[in-house]
Amino acid sequence: MDDTLLSIEHLSCDIGSHDPLVDINISLARGENAVFFGPENSGIETLMLFLLDIDDRYEGVIRYKNTDIREFDYIGKHNYRREIGYVHGMYGLISNMSVEDNISLPLEYHSTMSQKEIKRLVDRLIYELNLDYCKKLRPVDLSNSEALRTSYARAIVMDPELLIVKHAFEGQSPLNIRSFMDNLKERASRKDKSLIIVTYEPEKFIDFSDRFIMIFNGRVVFDGNRESYLDSENRYLVQYKEGSPAGPMAIL
Amino acid sequence: MQMLLSLPFTVGKKALKIWAGIGDFGRYCLSIALSFKSLRYLRFRSLYVIVINQTRFTGIDALNFVVLIALIIGATVIIQATTNLPKFGTEGFIGNLLVIIVARELGPLITALIVISRSGSAIAAEISTQKQNQEILSMEIMGIDTRLYIVFPRILASILSIFSLIMIFDLTAFIGGYVIARSTVYIAPEAFLQTLVDAFSLKDLLATLIKSIIYGTLVPLICCYYGFKASSKFEVPIFVSRAVIRTLFTIIVVNVVISILFYF
Repeated sequence: MDDTLLSIEHLSCDIGSHDPLVDINISLARGENAVFFGPENSGIETLMLFLLDIDDRYEGVIRYKNTDIREFDYIGKHNYRREIGYVHGMYGLISNMSVEDNISLPLEYHSTMSQKEIKRLVDRLIYELNLDYCKKLRPVDLSNSEALRTSYARAIVMDPELLIVKHAFEGQSPLNIRSFMDNLKERASRKDKSLIIVTYEPEKFIDFSDRFIMIFNGRVVFDGNRESYLDSENRYLVQYKEGSPAGPMAIL
Repeated sequence: MQMLLSLPFTVGKKALKIWAGIGDFGRYCLSIALSFKSLRYLRFRSLYVIVINQTRFTGIDALNFVVLIALIIGATVIIQATTNLPKFGTEGFIGNLLVIIVARELGPLITALIVISRSGSAIAAEISTQKQNQEILSMEIMGIDTRLYIVFPRILASILSIFSLIMIFDLTAFIGGYVIARSTVYIAPEAFLQTLVDAFSLKDLLATLIKSIIYGTLVPLICCYYGFKASSKFEVPIFVSRAVIRTLFTIIVVNVVISILFYF
C-alpha cells in the first residue's frame, strides 16, 4: 500500500505577486513530520499557499492521497480542506465568537455529532490546552498564548490527517505554550497523522520531527532527517544555523 | 480642445471599468449560487446563530430609530395633507395620499436607507476586518464556504428584518402620525381609518413583500461583496464607503423600477 500522504512534483511558480519556486520535489508519508525552514522570502509562504489550495497558479503537481489537488471538484476541495488543520501566526480566530465557539465551529459546520457530543469534545480540548479559565472570552481579550492554543484546538478538533503549523510560535513565551507543545508533541508521535511545521527556529523541533527541509530562493537546498540536520556540513544549513552573513546565501 | 478630444476616451474607459465591475459582481453572485452545492454538507445549526444575531442587529436594534423616523414622516405627511388638500377640495383623499406616499414609497425606501447606513456599513466593515485578520482565510481552510456561511445567513436575516421594519414603519407612520397631527388639525379617527382601509390594496402588500425580498437580498449581497474586496487595512474605509454609496444608489434605482412595474 502506498503510504504517501502528500507529494509535490516539479512544482514551479514564477508570478510577480509571490516568491518564486523552482522545481520543488518533496513527498510526505503518512505519520511523517517535517519542519520547513529558510530565511524570509525563501518561497515557503508561496508553497503553503499552494498546499492549502488557496492559489493554483503553479506548474507541476501536488498530490494528496495520490490525487492531484487541482483535479478536485467543489466537493473534493471541500473535503480536502476538512482533512487539513492549519495554525498560523495571526491565529485567524473569529473575532465575534468566544474561545469555545471558535473551537466548536468546524464541528458545528461539518460534523453530524450532536450538540452534547460536540460540547464534550470541545471541553476535553479546552481542558487539555488549559483554556478553561478563558473559554467564554472573545479573541480580543486573549493573550498571545491563549490565542495560539485556541487556534490550535480549532485546527485539531476535526482530527485532521495533516496539520500545518506556520510561524505560530514566534514571539511566544515557552512557559505559556507548554500545554500546547505537549499536545503537539503527542500528536507528532502518532503514526497515522502528519505534521508540517514552518518556522524560523527548526532547532526547537528536533525532538519530534523526522525531517528537516530548508528552502532558499525557491529551491530546496537541504532535505534530511534529524541526524543529518544536526551533523550535515551543507553550506546553506551551516550558514542558517550560525546566523552568519557569510555563506552562499546573500541576505539583505 | 485637447480635453474635449480626450472626453470620449475618458468616458469609454469609465464605461469599461463599470462593465468590468458588473462582470465581477456577476461572478461573485454566481459563486454564491454555486456554493449552495455544499448545502447538503452543511449543518444549519452553524448558520442559526448568525441569522439570529444579524436579525437582532438589523431588525430589533434599529427599531427605535425606525419608529422615530416613521413618526416624524407620518406626522409631516398628515399635517401637509390635512392643511393643503382642502384647498383643492380633495380632503377625502388623505388615506390615498398616505398609502401612496408612506406605504408604497417612503416606508420601504427609508427603511432600506436606515438598514444600509446601520447594517450595510457594519457588514462591509466586519467582513473586510475579518479578511485582514485572516479570519476568512482560516474559515476557508477549515472547509467552510465563506460565501455560504457569511452571505447567505445575512440575506435571510436582512429579508426578515426589512419586511418587519417596513410593516412597523407604515403602521407607526399611520397611527403615530395621526396622533401627532391631531395636536395641530382635527380629523375624525373613524374617517381617517376608513380612508386608509379604502386606499390600501393587496397589491400594496405584495409590492412591500417584493421590495423587502429584493432589498433584503441586495443590501447584504452588495455590502458583503465590497467587504470581501478590501485587500489591505488601508482599503477598509474605502470599500465600506463604496459599499454604502453603491447600495444606496442600487436600492433607489430598484425602488423606481418596482414602482413602475407595479403602479405605472
